[in-house]
Amino acid sequence: MSNVLRPYLAAVRSTLTAALTLQDFSSQIVERHNKPEVEVGGSKEVLLQPMTISRNENERVLIEASVNSIRLSIKIKQADEIERILCHKFTRFMMQRAESFIVLRRKPVKGYDISFLITNNHTDTMLKHKIVDFIIQFMEEVDKEISEMKLSLNARARVVAESYLQAFNS
Amino acid sequence: MILLESNNYIIQTTLAEKLVKPSSLDVQFVDFDGVRFHLSTPERKTCLLLSMSIKCWDELVKYGVDNVLRREYGDRLQAAAEPEYNVSLELDLEKFPPAGEEREALVRSISLLKRNALAAPFELAFETQKQLAAGGSGQGDLLALHYRDEEAIYVQASSDRVTVIFSTVFREETDRIFGKVFLQEFVDARRLSTIQSAPQVLYTTRDPPLELRHLPNLAQSEDVGYVTFILFPRHFANPSVAESTISHIQNFRDYLHYHIKCSKAYMHSRMRHRVSEFQKVLNRAKTEVAVVDRKTVSGRSLVR
Amino acid sequence: MSLLAPIICDNGTGFSKVGYAGNSDPSFVFPTAIATRGPASQATRSGPAVPSKPGHLASKRGVEDLDFFIGDEALANAKTPGYGINYPIRHGQIENWDYMERYWEQTIFKYLRAEPEDHYFLLTEPPLNPPENREQTAEIFFESFNIKGLYIAVQAVLALAASWTSSRVNDRTLTGTVIDSGDGVTHVIPCAEGYVIGSAIKHIPIAGRDITQFVLNLMRERGEMVNVPPEEHLKVAGKVKENYSYVCQDIVKEFRKYDAEPYKYFERYEDEYSVTGKNYSVDVGYERFLAPEIFFNPEIYSSDFLTPLPEIVDGVIQQSPIDVRRGLYKNIVLSGGSTMFQHFGQRLKRDLKQIVDRRLVDNALASGTQVKSSGVEVEVISHKRQRYAVWFGGSLLASLPEFYSSCHTKAQYDEVGPSICRRYQIFGSAT
Repeated sequence: MSNVLRPYLAAVRSTLTAALTLQDFSSQIVERHNKPEVEVGGSKEVLLQPMTISRNENERVLIEASVNSIRLSIKIKQADEIERILCHKFTRFMMQRAESFIVLRRKPVKGYDISFLITNNHTDTMLKHKIVDFIIQFMEEVDKEISEMKLSLNARARVVAESYLQAFNS
Repeated sequence: MILLESNNYIIQTTLAEKLVKPSSLDVQFVDFDGVRFHLSTPERKTCLLLSMSIKCWDELVKYGVDNVLRREYGDRLQAAAEPEYNVSLELDLEKFPPAGEEREALVRSISLLKRNALAAPFELAFETQKQLAAGGSGQGDLLALHYRDEEAIYVQASSDRVTVIFSTVFREETDRIFGKVFLQEFVDARRLSTIQSAPQVLYTTRDPPLELRHLPNLAQSEDVGYVTFILFPRHFANPSVAESTISHIQNFRDYLHYHIKCSKAYMHSRMRHRVSEFQKVLNRAKTEVAVVDRKTVSGRSLVR
Repeated sequence: MSLLAPIICDNGTGFSKVGYAGNSDPSFVFPTAIATRGPASQATRSGPAVPSKPGHLASKRGVEDLDFFIGDEALANAKTPGYGINYPIRHGQIENWDYMERYWEQTIFKYLRAEPEDHYFLLTEPPLNPPENREQTAEIFFESFNIKGLYIAVQAVLALAASWTSSRVNDRTLTGTVIDSGDGVTHVIPCAEGYVIGSAIKHIPIAGRDITQFVLNLMRERGEMVNVPPEEHLKVAGKVKENYSYVCQDIVKEFRKYDAEPYKYFERYEDEYSVTGKNYSVDVGYERFLAPEIFFNPEIYSSDFLTPLPEIVDGVIQQSPIDVRRGLYKNIVLSGGSTMFQHFGQRLKRDLKQIVDRRLVDNALASGTQVKSSGVEVEVISHKRQRYAVWFGGSLLASLPEFYSSCHTKAQYDEVGPSICRRYQIFGSAT
């Protein structure tokens, strides 16, 4: 992990840990409903001020907290066309499997690449600090994975081109 | 499998099978670039009719495909093709050479039908180049081959080289970007010492290369690209080298697309791996739910 | 270029059947096996090899994932050091998606030689396949291969469609009971108007492999196998099963027939040992009719599975909704290589008819009514395309003009996402 990345992740980690103080909260509007307030947005008084942690203009995290749920959206670094398409592919592939990633949202919040929705149910059944660990590890590795995929694509392209041209020699 | 073969596998296996055990047959199948084949036994079990339909047949006729096929297949070439198809070969299994190398060579040559048909413009261009080289200067005609709906091959001979240009269109965004990466590597790869003698490759997007500028109705858009191969006499002076060059260059588009698809498949397996890793991390967060065995008054376990 | 024929891909546990629509037989039938670099065992969890750092230009590293063989070539290369063989499909369902994706990759580009962008595809799935598997399949085909359109059909429904070619079928219905017996397992699947009645499906643990084993046991007991080299035993048993077996109507009579005139009924099988080139021959006797008999009297082979096939079929139909039972009895369709025995259909029909009639009589007695039942029609359909019935049904359906409108296209996929493939429209039946 580069030194520049560390303070950014540390900021996300502490903010997220602080925000993850969730409790069971039934809907004030519809009887017998218990919905993530951050998604419903019906009662303003249970929503907290959203917060953006930004490393630079291309990489930022949006944390929207509420009384029983928080929503965390990540914008992943995309330097060029290739990274953009790879990032898009990767996040879509993951969201396709959201069923098994309990905290993953099926669609990202507008302007971000991937979103997580953590509710009080999740903090009840799972260890809070481990959920935070998961998010941080995801952020760390997703950049690495995308740049590795890009490198491997280039390496492949080179091998493919060479093998094709080499065949002219024979 | 890195390189694609030029021959059609279905023709090869079917012929080999029918030579051993003739039986009546009627199958249709395809090859790359919208080529359709029809293999049938219209009259008797030992007499197969192989017909091929190819998109750019009219252009191929202009470039002398008849001579090429006549040379390759001799009397087997039918004067009139089956309706809906462009060319037909009659294969009388009884007249095939006995099992052995000779027969295998013949079967292979038949399975190369598509390759041989598409070879016509290249052979013509190589011939033209020889004439021009003797004259010292000048340029041959631009031979266009619209082998797919949206894409075409152009071949042009000049006194010291033969230029082959592929127009490429990618239908999908991912393919377009992957394709760009691949094509850029084709251009760069030649810097390597081991493949110095390979043809030079140029790649341009949007603007067609000089050779094509004068052509009317060329598609002009972001996703059209042009790949130019410059073949020097060393690539085709020797007949056997020329033959492999032709087979190889024909496959360029399919080769490129094959590898784009393979890379996507590879990306998928990487992502599958990565996602399962993430999954493990998340699973670590789950707490073990202790199962408490609750008993009813009578002492049986309570099942809800 | 919709002129180009759709591609039909029937990937089974043992064998894959692939080819172009409109033909009567698949172009390729080869084992669903893939031989890759590295040992076979650690494959599932290790993930793909991460390519080494680029820069070693001369090395071919970075494309290890292209170094593999499929089908017959996979089996041929399984012994090569460094390669391990894998079977990506288990019990009809895809277990390893990485291998399957590469398997399809080579099927399309090496064997079929088709540009997937120009073709529609028809794939098959076993009954009770989870919808997530459909989504994953769609993801591979649309995203990796950019295919034009996709239709995923249930194998049993295709087998029903294949029976339309039989002269005894005059209405093209998709209601019926399918008996699908391949190499590994036999299924009895009831279908109502193109939809599988999932709750009534039954599996029978007796199929091709068991029949071969049974033939082998019988021949060993009789001592026929002494002059056959040991490694050829299974092959000989398989050949005997395929070439000489038939279903008899009554075992006792059949035994008597054989004992009275052994020379008339005993056959001689001759073959050559592939290693030494020596010829050998064996006598083929009672196993000719005993082999398929294990479907009807399983106790002669197995000790833990004892229900005869006709009883199972009857049970399956009785578990289905009452309003379709008549249709299910009337249209029992055979599919798969292990139903190819001569007179298999007639025997099944006779036995089943007996069960049904007996029940009608019992019913009448128990209720004490004088009203006579009009009877239940039982019909077992066997036809020429039985061996690759599923593939053939696919070929048939994909040649219909409605096929294209029932497919989900690339554009629709891009719009909706993989979940679009959870639902497919049933088409082709005349009713």
